[in-house]
Amino acid sequence: MGIIKKLPVYAEHVPGGGLVVTSINSVLTMSQAKSLWYLLFGTACCAIELMATGASRYDFDRLGMIFRASPRQADLMIVAGTITKKMAPRVKRLYDQMAQPRYVLAMGGCAIGGGPFYYDSYSVLKGIDLVIPVDVYVPGCPPRPEALLQGCLEVGKKIRTLKLDEWS
Amino acid sequence: MELNGVMTKQELIDHIKAHFPGPLEMIETKQPEPYFIVRPEDLVAFARFIHDDPQLQMNFLMSLAGVDTGQRCEVVYNVCSYPLKHRLLFKILLPRDNAEFDSVLSVWPAANWYEREVWELYGMNVRNHPNLTRFLLTDDWDEGNPMRKGWTGTDFITLPDRG
Repeated sequence: MGIIKKLPVYAEHVPGGGLVVTSINSVLTMSQAKSLWYLLFGTACCAIELMATGASRYDFDRLGMIFRASPRQADLMIVAGTITKKMAPRVKRLYDQMAQPRYVLAMGGCAIGGGPFYYDSYSVLKGIDLVIPVDVYVPGCPPRPEALLQGCLEVGKKIRTLKLDEWS
Repeated sequence: MELNGVMTKQELIDHIKAHFPGPLEMIETKQPEPYFIVRPEDLVAFARFIHDDPQLQMNFLMSLAGVDTGQRCEVVYNVCSYPLKHRLLFKILLPRDNAEFDSVLSVWPAANWYEREVWELYGMNVRNHPNLTRFLLTDDWDEGNPMRKGWTGTDFITLPDRG
């Protein structure tokens, strides 16, 4: 009964029976939001902060977030670091390999808009949203782990707004 | 300041000047290693000399970098000796147009990728290099050599002058 008390929004129990009435949409979106497996995409110093967030002090795992080394198993791509123009087609390719629904979190100034390499740089892509759609931007250079956690919770909020017929 | 090598800086300079036949210029620095300017036509001979000489034994090419000062091009070599623990800097000066220099691949095989990098980013041609192909820029790059002074590209944004 504990879970029903905690989740009055999503579930409703039938009196007298061990049954819970809810919508498939709620179950699907909630379970995806609570088990966001993310694709490791650490290319620069933001990856250190991503590792710190994944390690025991901040502990991504308590949000149900486990890193995956394969895009086929990932729901969320955390682009942590500078993306060069040479890397950009590879980012696109990995994004295309992820199963839908898929989300992208741009972490740090470089992934958002080129960051310190915006001026006088011939090699750095000026933001990954030139290549792939981005759902949540987490600014910082690099962002604190708290900011990254907040960003992932924002991704969770966005997932919960998803309707069943939008799944493709 | 001196490096903890077998020979001091002055001994290195004296030895090289006494035994290398070609003309050499020096750059006076406060750094612990001597800094020579070598004529481009002497480059391979000089490299072979400091590599093979038993009192120098410069067997490790630490770095090879291109420079474009705006007036001329340079290639700077940093070498050191593992057995004798001393270091040496030298560079060659090249004209800015049609810069061309010899590969030191026969002396230090490590020069392979460095010379490719100089060829790709600075547009200096490397003679006798077996594999001058693109590997740092994107595969479909067609905007020239980005490390040249005054280079601009399609989405290249120069830092505005903030006074």
